[in-house]
Amino acid sequence: MSTLDKKAKEAMDDDTAHASGGGDNGAGGFIILFFIIGFAASMVLGWVVFPKLLYSQKQQPFSFNHALHVGEVDEGCESCHFFREDGSFSGIPKLAQCTDCHEEPMGETEDEAIFVEQYVAKEREVPWFSYSRQPDCVFFSHAAHVVGAKMDCVACHGHIGESERSRPYEYNRLTGYSRDIWGKNIAGFKNNSWDRMKMDDCAQCHKEAGIIHTSSVQTQRDACFVCHK
Amino acid sequence: MKHEQNHTTPMRYGMAIDLDKCTGCGACMTACMAENNVPFKEDESDKLVSITWMRIFELNNGKAFPDTDICYLPRPCQHCEGHGGHSPCVSVCPATATDYSQETGIVSQIYTRCFGCRYCMGACPYHARYFNWWDPVWPDGMEKYLSPNVSVRMRGVVEKCSFCFHRYQLAKNQVYLDGERKVPEADYQTACTQACPAGAIVFGDLNNPEHQVHQIVKPDSENGNKSRNPRAFRLLERLGTNTKVYYLSNREWVRRAGDNYLAHEKTGQVSKPHH
Amino acid sequence: MKVDRRSFLSFVIGGAAGTALSPLPWKLMDDSSIWSQMWPWTPVPPDGEVVYEDSTCTLCPGGCGISVRKVDHRAVKIEGKKGHPVNDGGICILGLSGLQLLYGPTRIKSPMKRIGERGQGKWQKISWDEAMAILTEKLSDIRNKGEAHTVAAIAGTEGGTVPALLQRFMTAYGSPNFIRTPSHQDADELAVKTLFGASGRTGFDLENADYILSFGSGIVDGWGSPVRMFRASSLWKEKNVTVVQVEPRLSNSAAKATRWIPVNPGTEADLALGIAAVMIAQNMVDPGAVAGAGGWENQLLANYGTKKVSQVTGVDAGVILELAKGFAKANRPLALCGRGKGLVAESLRETAAVYALNALTGNINQEGGMWAIPEADYIRWPDVASDELASAGLAQPRLDGAGTGRYAGARHLLNRLADAVNGGGPYPLQALLVAGANPCYDLPDTRSVRMALERIPFIVSFSSFNDETAAMADLLLPDHVYLERYGDVPVGAGLAQQVIGLSKPVVSPQFNTRHLGETLIVAARTMGGATADAFPWDNYETCLEETLAEKWDALIEEGIWVEADIAPVADTVRLAVTDAPAVQAEGDVNSFPLLLIPYDSIRLSSGYIGDPPFMIKTVSGTVVKGKDGFIEINPQTASATGLSEGSVATLTTPRGEARVRVHLFEGIQPGVVAMARGLGHTAYDGYLAGKGVNVNELIGPVEDPSSGHDAAWGIRAKLAKA
Repeated sequence: MSTLDKKAKEAMDDDTAHASGGGDNGAGGFIILFFIIGFAASMVLGWVVFPKLLYSQKQQPFSFNHALHVGEVDEGCESCHFFREDGSFSGIPKLAQCTDCHEEPMGETEDEAIFVEQYVAKEREVPWFSYSRQPDCVFFSHAAHVVGAKMDCVACHGHIGESERSRPYEYNRLTGYSRDIWGKNIAGFKNNSWDRMKMDDCAQCHKEAGIIHTSSVQTQRDACFVCHK
Repeated sequence: MKHEQNHTTPMRYGMAIDLDKCTGCGACMTACMAENNVPFKEDESDKLVSITWMRIFELNNGKAFPDTDICYLPRPCQHCEGHGGHSPCVSVCPATATDYSQETGIVSQIYTRCFGCRYCMGACPYHARYFNWWDPVWPDGMEKYLSPNVSVRMRGVVEKCSFCFHRYQLAKNQVYLDGERKVPEADYQTACTQACPAGAIVFGDLNNPEHQVHQIVKPDSENGNKSRNPRAFRLLERLGTNTKVYYLSNREWVRRAGDNYLAHEKTGQVSKPHH
Repeated sequence: MKVDRRSFLSFVIGGAAGTALSPLPWKLMDDSSIWSQMWPWTPVPPDGEVVYEDSTCTLCPGGCGISVRKVDHRAVKIEGKKGHPVNDGGICILGLSGLQLLYGPTRIKSPMKRIGERGQGKWQKISWDEAMAILTEKLSDIRNKGEAHTVAAIAGTEGGTVPALLQRFMTAYGSPNFIRTPSHQDADELAVKTLFGASGRTGFDLENADYILSFGSGIVDGWGSPVRMFRASSLWKEKNVTVVQVEPRLSNSAAKATRWIPVNPGTEADLALGIAAVMIAQNMVDPGAVAGAGGWENQLLANYGTKKVSQVTGVDAGVILELAKGFAKANRPLALCGRGKGLVAESLRETAAVYALNALTGNINQEGGMWAIPEADYIRWPDVASDELASAGLAQPRLDGAGTGRYAGARHLLNRLADAVNGGGPYPLQALLVAGANPCYDLPDTRSVRMALERIPFIVSFSSFNDETAAMADLLLPDHVYLERYGDVPVGAGLAQQVIGLSKPVVSPQFNTRHLGETLIVAARTMGGATADAFPWDNYETCLEETLAEKWDALIEEGIWVEADIAPVADTVRLAVTDAPAVQAEGDVNSFPLLLIPYDSIRLSSGYIGDPPFMIKTVSGTVVKGKDGFIEINPQTASATGLSEGSVATLTTPRGEARVRVHLFEGIQPGVVAMARGLGHTAYDGYLAGKGVNVNELIGPVEDPSSGHDAAWGIRAKLAKA
């Protein structure tokens, strides 16, 4: 190792050509090795460790079986996630809707017991974590998409209706957003339309559907106030 | 998933404010603050840093007692169209944070996009824009009344009247559900219009002959949207900002106060749009 | 293996390359920009289902219908109720700010007892049981000693079941001292009694009148039912109705009027009588309008010649003639009085003079005219069966003297209470109950009021807010605010109809407060005996429902009850000769060359309710700047005193002095100084306290010689550069 030290010192004193020549005799392998180590370490950090650090997980108050409920109701998603009379979207159901059926436990599962004991009996709203809540600056109209454009829930929410257990809710420690907004894939790659819910995804879908307004004087695209507040 | 486009006539939402009816009671200012989560501080007497999207100015005729007369002038954002939507503020915004919509005629402000350079404030001839010098803080418990329809603004951004655009968005939801095409006049009214106990504010689509505001203003599209109503005037009309807030008064001195007229000049002049 | 420099660099470069190819920098950049756009400490209001709940606003006597927008369980906005007969969708600035009162930190959040010195602000939270025990033990002690009359109650109003319960409590307990806070209602009731010979109040068919002659009434400054007045004002504009405003200052009402007649302060009655004299002299009077007026007419013609009136009022003789002609010749003329918002009782002379003008035109009980109607009479509880202690107490004279001797015409004289307690009264007070009133702020000469309260050993405040009077109390029994409770609201406020509104709980009580009606029922039942017997109801809601009887269902459904076909109390007006002199301002002209008059602004709440932050925010920088309050003076007056815009001055009156700043205003008579009511609070919170000057600290009450009501319209003052 002391020879290497000397060579390095020489390389500093000598001209660059000499230094790179020095690389050829033995040290070059190390350099590549270190490059690979650095490269690999940062890749592991960026792809594996970083997402774990960035996102914090929380468990839902209890697990909800969508598949079971979809089987029991008549109108699919809209049975529980419906439009209110004023055109706003109800989102996650309130306790009152659940207790229409769940006044008494309707099954033997542990989750059902938690629900009835902790929430129905105590008349407490279930503090669900919403996977797909947009940030406060966004105005998203379900009516425009579901009623106006006749879109399917799956297009944005995926096959959540087929899930049998609630997956953990992951939120971004920096922004507080749900991970579903950026998507499961840390690089932001998406295969399905429901993999991400960022503004670019809105724009992409609008472009594909040919809905391009030019009402914005600034951008010659859709005006900001259509979806922002 | 192909969506049918509604290529209907674009709207130009605007206001007509009758200054002879306005009593300066402040209901419009307060309705606006309550509707739009406008914050407040312990001392709001420095009006340069007091955020009031709608603000009432007091004008006087400059005459001595007992001939003096006063008139109140409520000033929301004037939603300038300028020429082709190039309103003064939109033209200078380097962040695309403020924008003019050709569909509604509303000048928007997106707080998350704004980085607080305040060029727009310098450009606005109406002092309608306000900068958040401080974080908004509500006294303990009072944040309970905040409305979810309007984002609370953080320190370091500019805000202004949006013609209660969220009410348009909400009305639009209803329109989708009812299968209509356009938002009915009564379903989209600003908070100030709704609250005004004197009924001095009329709001609606200036392009729609069925809307009351159009019938009052009778905008002349051949002449920079100048009103054909002899009672009507706009603020600094000769600047060519082509604003969408019209004021009405029977009093000549009030109409004169709307612009910087020289002694020999008559009111009611408007410049043609610049080309 | 030793890491040399090149390997280290290579490691770093590899790391950098790897990092660039990993999502870390890009995602972090995105996230940190989002983070900086939405600081986590900026509140994000939770979304939910929007519902509207209707109720009635009780922040002023106006009785407007309100629709409260709620998101889930939170009330987020108050709006005017569409289609409501009083306000039809309109709303005033105070009504809009109601949620700041509901959720604000100025609420008293639990019953409390004082543990420090009075006014020191040291309180201990106690339970309702303990609080009620303190109250009833104290009251029982006083009563058992045979001194029930030494307890007094001050209420903001007499209308509705809650004040009626308080009044009933006092009667059953044995005290004659239930005192209502002063307002123009006092003078109005007395004038109706004097002119029509029956109890009742006036109502004005403003919407159908075609000539309005207002003697200082703040038509758009908060007089009557404010939103109704704004609507009427706009209606008059549309119909080209002539509105004449007689007032020394160009108020908003004067600015909205067709014509402003500046008048010497305090001479409005003279002008009214002068106009009446012209009408009589020129035979412009409706012949059948007045009964037994011969003597009165002669007196008028003798004493109120146009020339003399012109001299007194400062109004040109020609203008007086013009006004008389305009008023008399109009199809449906209507004269109004009650300065500003009508917060001061004013003299019988002035009120009767203006009502006489109405009578002379023959507009009494006519379309577009002045109506004399009975108060809504739906509270029909059986009489209280007094026990011996109560009868003894009730046999004592009232502390304020109302109803006897030279005050025979008056029913309530709160303006006299301070003097009575400070030594002028027949007996000392041992306890005071205060509900819906803030005498330590609202009454003229607040210093002597405060001094009086210091002498009372036991003060109970039912206030929902930590106001000036609550700060002086020993026991706080906070009431719900109007959005949390049931309550009936009989609306007077110049409406020509009998209207009852219902306020309903829109949100559940936010704090550990209790409905005042409930508190009184519980207190009476705890006291036992005859007091308990007078309160047979299980709780307040039962009491309200039983009282409203057949109206209850309609009120729950509609929120309002309008009495169909009310018969006027009488149709003829008897005008009698009086020798009551004009009420003069306190102070002598030589030491105090100027006149200070208070003025009302709709942007400042000047009653029991303190201004919420929204309202203070709308107040102009020429009314309050920082902590300084402004006075308005004519530039002429200012230059004579060496003052200019914004300069600091000392304003001195016979009752006190204050540091003020000067705002020059051409719309005010030279020699007159005007100051806004509703500022200078010492209690509440930093959003309200310490801003400006409370004009009541500078003005004292002046007794109306005919009734004893406070008739002060101003006070003499002097101004010096500070």
